[in-house]
Amino acid sequence: MGVSKEDVEGILTSAMKPTHLQVVDTSGGCGASFEIEIVSEQFEGKKLLERHRMVNAALAEQMKEIHALSIKKAVTPSKWNPIPKVQEE
Amino acid sequence: MTIAAVASLSVVRLSSSTRNPAYSSFITATPRNFRFPKDSRSLSLVRVSSTHKIRLSPYIVRCSATQDAELKSTIDKVVNSEKVVLFMKGNKDFPQCGFSNTVVQILKSLNVPFQTFDILENNVLRQGLKEYSSWPTFPQLYIDGEFFGGCDITLEAYQNGDLQECLEKAMCS
Repeated sequence: MGVSKEDVEGILTSAMKPTHLQVVDTSGGCGASFEIEIVSEQFEGKKLLERHRMVNAALAEQMKEIHALSIKKAVTPSKWNPIPKVQEE
Repeated sequence: MTIAAVASLSVVRLSSSTRNPAYSSFITATPRNFRFPKDSRSLSLVRVSSTHKIRLSPYIVRCSATQDAELKSTIDKVVNSEKVVLFMKGNKDFPQCGFSNTVVQILKSLNVPFQTFDILENNVLRQGLKEYSSWPTFPQLYIDGEFFGGCDITLEAYQNGDLQECLEKAMCS
């Protein structure tokens, strides 16, 4: 039984208190691999590697079952620049 | 760990070395001499070949606290053996994973010399590195003996120029 997207979202929400969080199950629902975008004030002053380690640490238990984790974005709110989904004409 | 359990570990011989328990046969007369305890049941991960290349020689592992210290010491030497070391699935000519391949292609495009180790061939190394790096996945890139990151970090650093800067610093030191 793999880890669900909701599990990952729940854990990261309580651990990192993010202002933006997007978790995508890239294994087609199997819970084997995830892509994560996370924006949190807890990343303030932390280098790239440290930020990724924080996310890994939060998901340490789940990592035993997850095959691959891709952290696309792990930034502070000031660095977060989302691409607008709707192009206004 | 029972003999059966130990035997079930993936043990692959990468070179035609003899199964000589005396480690003196592994240590060639090169500037880089790695000292290993003279114990036939201990792990020898690294062998210095006559061409001065670091080769992995996975052997049967004895489970003990001494083993962990030996493993750590071996990994210390491996990550410092070259300026750029990549632990990946497959090797630089035949990557066996998309993430590993991404890092290989990045390093090749930067024309930087790097050594790769296939963690699929050595389960002891694979698990040992996860603890050593405090990083749960592969690939794992080491620059100048220090853990740099996995695929995402390497890609982001390549896109914003940090990787090139780090490599330049390492090559010049």
